[in-house]
Amino acid sequence: MNERPPLSTPQRVAVWDAALDATRQTLRGAGLREVLTPVRLSAVAVEPFIEPVAAPPGLLATSPELPMKRLLCRGAPSIFQIATCFRAGELGDHHREELHLCEWYRVGEDAPALRADVEHLVFVVFDAVAKALREPGLPMPPAPGDWDEVGMLDLVEQTLGLRLRGDEDAGALAAALEGATCEEARRDVSRLMADPLATVRDERLASSPRAHALAAWTAFFSAWCDACLDPWLRARVHRGVHVVDFPRALAALSAPDDARPVAHRFESHVHGRELANGYRELGDADEQRRRFEDVNALRASLDLPALPIDHDFLADLRSPGLPPCAGVALGLDRLVLLATGRTRLADVAIELGGLL
Amino acid sequence: MDVSELRKNAKVELDGHPYVVTEFQFVKPGKGQGLYKCKLKNMITGAVLDRTWRSGERLEAANVDSRTMQYLFAGSDGFTFMDSATYEQVELSAELVGDDKYFLLDAPPPGSDQPIAYAVLFYNNRPVGLDVPSHVVMEVTECEPGVKGDTATNVTKGATIQTGLDVQVPLFIKQGEFIKIDTRSKSYVERVNIGK
Repeated sequence: MNERPPLSTPQRVAVWDAALDATRQTLRGAGLREVLTPVRLSAVAVEPFIEPVAAPPGLLATSPELPMKRLLCRGAPSIFQIATCFRAGELGDHHREELHLCEWYRVGEDAPALRADVEHLVFVVFDAVAKALREPGLPMPPAPGDWDEVGMLDLVEQTLGLRLRGDEDAGALAAALEGATCEEARRDVSRLMADPLATVRDERLASSPRAHALAAWTAFFSAWCDACLDPWLRARVHRGVHVVDFPRALAALSAPDDARPVAHRFESHVHGRELANGYRELGDADEQRRRFEDVNALRASLDLPALPIDHDFLADLRSPGLPPCAGVALGLDRLVLLATGRTRLADVAIELGGLL
Repeated sequence: MDVSELRKNAKVELDGHPYVVTEFQFVKPGKGQGLYKCKLKNMITGAVLDRTWRSGERLEAANVDSRTMQYLFAGSDGFTFMDSATYEQVELSAELVGDDKYFLLDAPPPGSDQPIAYAVLFYNNRPVGLDVPSHVVMEVTECEPGVKGDTATNVTKGATIQTGLDVQVPLFIKQGEFIKIDTRSKSYVERVNIGK
C-alpha cells in the first residue's frame, strides 16, 4: 500500500465528524443512552501498566470504566460514552497520552453481544469515514469482511507449541514455558522477558501467590503479544479477530468462567491492531478489591507507585451491586486511523499543538 | 534516565559506549508492558545494533556533546584543534582522524575569511569523533596535463590536492585550480572559480 499523506485540517474535521456521528447513531440505534462521567477522579482502575496523569487532588481518567459501572449499580440502563482519557507515557505511532475511548455497557447481556457491536461499529465507521474522505485515486481500506474468534490459550498453543490451562501459578508457568516446542518463538518470548521471569523472582511478590502469578502472566503476555500474537495478526490483516477467554490472572475487571480457569475477557483486533477490550463484568467486590491489591503488589515489585483504590466503586459493587452486564472500550483514534489507511495517529488526530 | 524518555536522536550509554537512537518504536498491548524498540548507532565506531527495552527499565544517558572547532596544526602523532568559543586546544589522535586528515585546513578556504568549522564529538569530555564538512574546496597542487581534443565524457586523470590526497578529475582541470571534494567519497565534485 502506498504511503498516504497526513490528513489536512479540513479532512481531519470531516472524518472525525463522520466517525463520531456514525458511532452515536449506531449505539443510540441499539438502544443505548449516552452519558458523560467526570474526567477528574479520585481513583482509576488499578492496572499494572496504565499510568494515570495527576490532576491534584485527583487523577485524570484512564478510562470511564469505574464511573460508568457506578451508574449501572445505581440503576442506569445500557449506556455509552465517548470519553477523553489520559495515559501517561504512551507515545508512539499508535499511542497517544490523550486518547478517545468509546465505551459502552449492555445490561442483562453478555460479551458475545458486545463483539457483535464491535463488528458492526467498525463496519459503520469505516463506511462513514470513506464517504467523508473521498480521495481520488486512493482506494479506501476495506473494513474486515469476516471475523474470527480464537481463545487466547489456543493461540498460545498454536504459536508456541505450549498448552496452558489458564490457572498456572508463577512457578508452573515458568516451567511450562521451558517446554514450549516452537523453539524460535520460545526464544523470542524469553528474550523479551529479559532475565526470564525476573519480575516473579522479586521477593516483594513472594508473600502473595496471586500477585506472583499476575506478575508472571503479565510478563509472559506482554512478551507473547510482541513475539507471537502481532506476527500472527499481521498474517491475517483482512480479517477481524476477537481473542477471547483470557487466563485467570489476566482477568483484569472481568468475570471468571464457572467451569474453566479462564475469564470472560476479550480483545478485538482490526488490520492487525488492537482496537477494543471487553468483559463480562465482574460484580464480586471482594474479588475486585483483591485484584486491585495484587496489581499494587506487582507495581511495588517494579518500583512503580501504588495507585489509590476506588472504595466508592467497591462500595457500589457491594450495594446496590452491579447488575449482570458486559462492557467494552474501543479506541476511536485507532479506528479513525485504520479507516483512513494512515499509519500514525499524528496523521489523523485533531490537535493544535502547544500543550504537551 | 527512564526508558520513557527514549526518543529518536536520544543519546544513551551501553557497555561503556555512546549510542544515538536512529529509529524508535513504542509498542504496547493495552494491558501489557510497553516495549521500546530501538535501532542504535555507536557514535564512535558507527556500528549499528537493535535493542528492546521494557517500560520501567532505566538506562544511562550518554554524556556526549559536539563542539565547533578549528584546525590548528599537525603534531608528531596527532592533530591539534581549538574550540572556536573557548579557545581551548585539544589533540585528536591520528587513528581517530584517519583519512579525514586530507580535509584539514588551518587557514580559511579560498574565497572565505572564516576557518573551516569542524565538529568534534566529546564523550565524557574526551574527544571521540570528528565530523568534517560534507564538501571542502582544495587547490590542485599536481596533475597531469590534459589531452587536447579529447572531449569524451567520463574520462579522467589523476591529480593531487594540497593536503596530499589523490583524486580523479576531468581532463580540463589544471594545476593551481580549485576543486570541490566530497569528503565522504573522497571524490571530485566540480571546479570552483576563485576570483583572485
